[in-house]
Amino acid sequence: MSLLPLFQWVARAPIFAVMRDSRWAFAVVEMVHLLALTSFGGTLLVIDLGVLGIGLRLQPASNVARDLSRLLLGSLVVAVVSGAVLVSAEAMKCYYHPAFRVKMLLFFLAVTFNFTLHRKLVESATGAPSTRWSKLTAVTSLLLWLSVGVAGRSIGFF
Amino acid sequence: MSALEICQWIRATSFATSIRESDWVYPIIETVHVLGIALLVGTVAIVDLRLLGIVLKRERVSRIAGQVLPLTWAGFVAMFATGALLFVAQASKSYVNPAFRIKMLLLLLVGLNPLIFHSTIYRSVGTWDDATAAPRRARLAAVLSLCLWSGIIIAGRAIAYY
Repeated sequence: MSLLPLFQWVARAPIFAVMRDSRWAFAVVEMVHLLALTSFGGTLLVIDLGVLGIGLRLQPASNVARDLSRLLLGSLVVAVVSGAVLVSAEAMKCYYHPAFRVKMLLFFLAVTFNFTLHRKLVESATGAPSTRWSKLTAVTSLLLWLSVGVAGRSIGFF
Repeated sequence: MSALEICQWIRATSFATSIRESDWVYPIIETVHVLGIALLVGTVAIVDLRLLGIVLKRERVSRIAGQVLPLTWAGFVAMFATGALLFVAQASKSYVNPAFRIKMLLLLLVGLNPLIFHSTIYRSVGTWDDATAAPRRARLAAVLSLCLWSGIIIAGRAIAYY
């Protein structure tokens, strides 16, 4: 099934007219998006760097990840919702944009990785020194999210 | 020589021009700038949220603050160095940009906050280290810090709109 009809509908939907027509509506949503990204990226960095023994290394990574999970998930939800609203302003441009497509692909990979392997390994990291597996998972997670960020930034460059 | 003239001179140097006109250097510097901000603000926010009793409640305040401090500094260095390069590339444009001026003002204020915090209420951290929520003045510093950093990110993004 192609997503083209969905993007075409979004591009014409009256509900998103304010996003298409108002320069400041776009700017405000973009700022919310950026705040959510900072919060998400910062929390993720603290969790994953902790697994690697940098920063929060004195407590088990599983405790840190559990305590910060609401912050991480909350930021992700705000980022996704604000991101979707941003897409509504330029739906057709995004649909055909190579950087946007790469970003979405990497984003789904990163989210899937985060809620499967990453979560499992972080949850099992109850001892102080991390295993080689959990370190590898942390590095993969950081690289995946970094690539999402780089792809996202490059949307503005093409 | 006025400040604006100095900025115009900086922007006209071959170093500034080469950053501004490069296809890849400018976006790479920007990306590192945003990553630095995420590391800096992320670690600051976690300490702030700990002071407010929202995250990592069972951990001692000083233990969290002490562990994330090197990361905060690393983020600061990355943010500051790349921020300086971004400014140099567009010095005279940045200088007259209202969003840039607001951002610099907020940065100054956000820098004063930890100076005051560490020289006053944080000195007695030993007496409230284990408490879920820190004393009122420490919580106030945490809220101020979160608001100022959000303002800095918003103002930073707004620079591109002027």
